[in-house]
Amino acid sequence: MRVISATRAIFLKELRIEFRNKQMINSMLILSLMILASFRFIFEFIDFSETELASPILWITFFFSGMFALAPIYQREVEQGTKEGLMLAPISASSIYFGKFLATFIIILGLNLFSTMIFFAFFAQPMPDMGMLLGIIVLGTIGFTALGNLISAISANLSQSQVMLPVLLIPILLFTVIMTSVEATFQIFDGAVLADLSNGIKLILAFDIIFVASGYLMIDYIIEE
Amino acid sequence: MTKKNILTIIMLLASAALTFTGLYMAFLWAPTHDTMGDVQRIFYFHVASAWVSYLAFGITLLGSLLYLKTSNMKYDILAYSSAEIGVVFCTAAIITGALWAKGVWGVFWIWDDMKLFMTMVLWLVFIAYLALRSNSDPGKARARMSAVFGIIGFLCIPLSFAANRIWTQFHPTVIASESGSLQTPMVQTLVTAVFAFTFLYLGILMIKTDLETTREEIEEIKQEIGDF
Repeated sequence: MRVISATRAIFLKELRIEFRNKQMINSMLILSLMILASFRFIFEFIDFSETELASPILWITFFFSGMFALAPIYQREVEQGTKEGLMLAPISASSIYFGKFLATFIIILGLNLFSTMIFFAFFAQPMPDMGMLLGIIVLGTIGFTALGNLISAISANLSQSQVMLPVLLIPILLFTVIMTSVEATFQIFDGAVLADLSNGIKLILAFDIIFVASGYLMIDYIIEE
Repeated sequence: MTKKNILTIIMLLASAALTFTGLYMAFLWAPTHDTMGDVQRIFYFHVASAWVSYLAFGITLLGSLLYLKTSNMKYDILAYSSAEIGVVFCTAAIITGALWAKGVWGVFWIWDDMKLFMTMVLWLVFIAYLALRSNSDPGKARARMSAVFGIIGFLCIPLSFAANRIWTQFHPTVIASESGSLQTPMVQTLVTAVFAFTFLYLGILMIKTDLETTREEIEEIKQEIGDF
């Protein structure tokens, strides 16, 4: 029970920080908008009613805007000197991890839904099955946030942490969750039914479970001093 | 001279002797390949580099696991030294592979071949590992972080393998095909090259771990007398 209440406390603390400091969320929303706008204008000569670029554009936007949401979660504790307080608190490292994981999951998911809306406004696409699309976005975001949290905890301790987060995150995330999600999303845009997606969904679910488990098991080694 | 130094020298000498023998065998002794021609001669050192890089990354994984289990800095040094050598040999394997591919397939790289893809993932993961090392202060925290990253990075290899069911196979499978396509002198040359590079790896690994241990000791002494 103590783990759950500690997780809840960390979760609420993170959300409170994010929503009190609205600058943060605002700039992340603006960043998503800017990324999508750049895609819109550099691909201007492409006919988007029949393009296959929809799914990669969507996921690259998720990836880079999500990265900026991940960067401060542990960095902030180091910069503001609250890391010591957090470590002195009689709670386990895994409840810190889960609290932060759930809070960032909600924020990044909100960010991704916003990007998806902007995406459909910018690019003329035949509407895919929204239920399946949202399902894949939720599943992909779980894996992204689970591993991203762990890597963010590592990069917070490094010099040039802003650069190191993408450097560490890309090789391990891109080839697993992101690629599988891009493929599944591509199938959805292509008009696939749920049965076609079952393999992709199983894989993303497996990644989610593995990444959450490895975050839970490994965070002890990162946070302990 | 300590016993370890003598062993290192023996390793390096064995590697030098085998490398020269291997070069002779690869360029003059082994027959020309039926379909690929002389380009195929790069194969012996390409396979040897690839094998050493996989071995080195495997040792990094082992070192990382042992470090998290025991907290002994010895294993951290082993993991790091092996990763650094692994990246060098992996780069060599990728470059020789690209040259070979240009001669046989007409392009430097085929993006949807599974083996090429896996090697690329490994290479990127361990370059990130080295970047992590060089951006953090020496000590227990760095050792723990890099061990965690090394393990997760290695874990991602089978995962990304699973994620790519659609890949085609262009890369020749040498080991699994019961050497049906290789003539006996070719196999002998390959074995010589593999042994040469394995000894080279072990020799460099010993020197590198020694170097890192000394660096560690100097850091400790610096801490004791205070930094200047």
